[in-house]
Amino acid sequence: MGSALPRARSFMILTTLLYRASHLTVGVVAVAQRGGRPVPYLGIAAALGLSVLVYGTALRRGWFDVRHVAADVLVTGCLLPFAVYAWGGLRETPAIGWAMLLGGSSSATAAIALRRPHALAAVAVLVATHLVGYELVGASPAVLGGHLNSLLSSAVMAWVMWWYLRRQGRLLDEANARALAAEAQKARYAERLDHHRALHDTVLATLTTLAAGGVDANAPEVRERCAREAAYLRRLIQQTAEEVHHPEMGAALEEAVSSVECLRLRVTAQYHGLPEVPPAVAAAFADAAREALNNVRRHAGTGHAYLTATGDAGGAGAVVTVVDRGPGFDPDRHVPGFGLRGSVHARMAEVGGRAVVDTAPGEGVRVELRWPA
Amino acid sequence: MAGVITVAVVDDDRMLLDGMRSWLGSVPELRLVATAGTVGELLAVPAGPAGTPPDVVLLDLVLRDASAPADNIRRLRAAGSRVLMISTVPDRTRIIEALRAGADGYLTKDNDLPTLVAAVKDVVAGHGAHSPELAFACAHDDSPSRPKLSPRERQVLLDYASGLTLKSTARRAGITVHTAKDYLDRVKAKYQQAGRPAYTKIDLARRVREDSLDAG
Repeated sequence: MGSALPRARSFMILTTLLYRASHLTVGVVAVAQRGGRPVPYLGIAAALGLSVLVYGTALRRGWFDVRHVAADVLVTGCLLPFAVYAWGGLRETPAIGWAMLLGGSSSATAAIALRRPHALAAVAVLVATHLVGYELVGASPAVLGGHLNSLLSSAVMAWVMWWYLRRQGRLLDEANARALAAEAQKARYAERLDHHRALHDTVLATLTTLAAGGVDANAPEVRERCAREAAYLRRLIQQTAEEVHHPEMGAALEEAVSSVECLRLRVTAQYHGLPEVPPAVAAAFADAAREALNNVRRHAGTGHAYLTATGDAGGAGAVVTVVDRGPGFDPDRHVPGFGLRGSVHARMAEVGGRAVVDTAPGEGVRVELRWPA
Repeated sequence: MAGVITVAVVDDDRMLLDGMRSWLGSVPELRLVATAGTVGELLAVPAGPAGTPPDVVLLDLVLRDASAPADNIRRLRAAGSRVLMISTVPDRTRIIEALRAGADGYLTKDNDLPTLVAAVKDVVAGHGAHSPELAFACAHDDSPSRPKLSPRERQVLLDYASGLTLKSTARRAGITVHTAKDYLDRVKAKYQQAGRPAYTKIDLARRVREDSLDAG
């Protein structure tokens, strides 16, 4: 359940509580000014006590207890005017006014706290008893009309407010739920893209190579790579999506290199002055380099790649190049496949790095990975 | 026998020596005149006809007799040969040392025959025998005694070190292949110059002047 309903409820409790408080204030002042018999004091005390019960419980529990509200309607709303009339000696319209007024807040609370038939019955009872009450003190039709109007409009306004808040709350909750779902969907999509990219660079590349038949599937290195990638798939299925990142950039690159070496790509790798980089950056370098190397293996036709990894002249950054001496391509006409564009560029951009591909027909391909960009 | 380049190989790996013999046997422009396990062994035997030293010695960077690569190179240079270093793993400190000691090039042993033949020819022609490994070692040499390189030389060096062909390196720098090769040769020459001992004050003064010219 969303968070809007509890908020609507506490707002309504507060509103009706304030409404009741204003009525009680009028009552306390009127009784205190008049003085005299104890019954009006008992009456206002009973109203105070019931109010504490109704609103205190509601505040504590988050919503009204219907029995408390029913009791309040019957006692504060219906009996109180007759009690102060019969035993309190309040026989004129102005004197009994405060007792009648309390019926308004009773009707407002009943309208929102009770189920609709009960709420209608409560308002009807209030209207009926108050009609009788004002008839007893001989109130003018104007007073009577005004009071009945106030009883009814209190109920209607409270109910409309409550209906509106609930409706808005529901809409808000639905919107929030939709936003959350979209967010989760986006996160899942990003994760799936990560996995797809990883699969593209590893399992798919391995299977494609094996299917092409140029590689001895029984070679220990190939089997080792298959075992590594099967382990990766298992992890993927188990949803333990925690990526194993390598703390050292060199080690991460070396693993990328050895994974393509297993597929008979000769790699001349040279490292110099590699800085300490965040694990995510080292992993991005390794993934991007692996894809660039896979690209050499697939497209260069030379079976040989050069990889260099060095610290940037600046100090904290690093530059990795993956170079082949194959046929290259015309960068203006060639639409790079998923490999170079999707994997390499996106992987570096993810960690705030960049990849630059330089090539010309007959001159091999040079991929430069740089972090920070 | 004009046009035929005489080659000797110094390596303590017998299998490599055998392989080199059959490899170079198939190349008409080259003639393998001697193989040896150490530099001393090679120099003890008069190699070519009439005792002329081989044009190029392919020298393994690390020999089992624990000799210093720099000493080996100086001895071979003194005997009148040019030296092309070969090794299994690129050890950058040793590559730089070798260059300073007068080696004309450096190749890893996993290169193919055409690359090796081209390197030998380059060395005989007075050029450097360049390789990405050598360029990488120079580009990332941060020893205090490294020679000063101009930004252009450094750029060409870095691009070549990344594995680009000389042609691609030249294209990226907007220069001809010939000029690109010239830049790499100049870097090699700077190392060789910086490596030679400065005996006199005049020498020192000249080197200071060279350095400031390079810097400017």
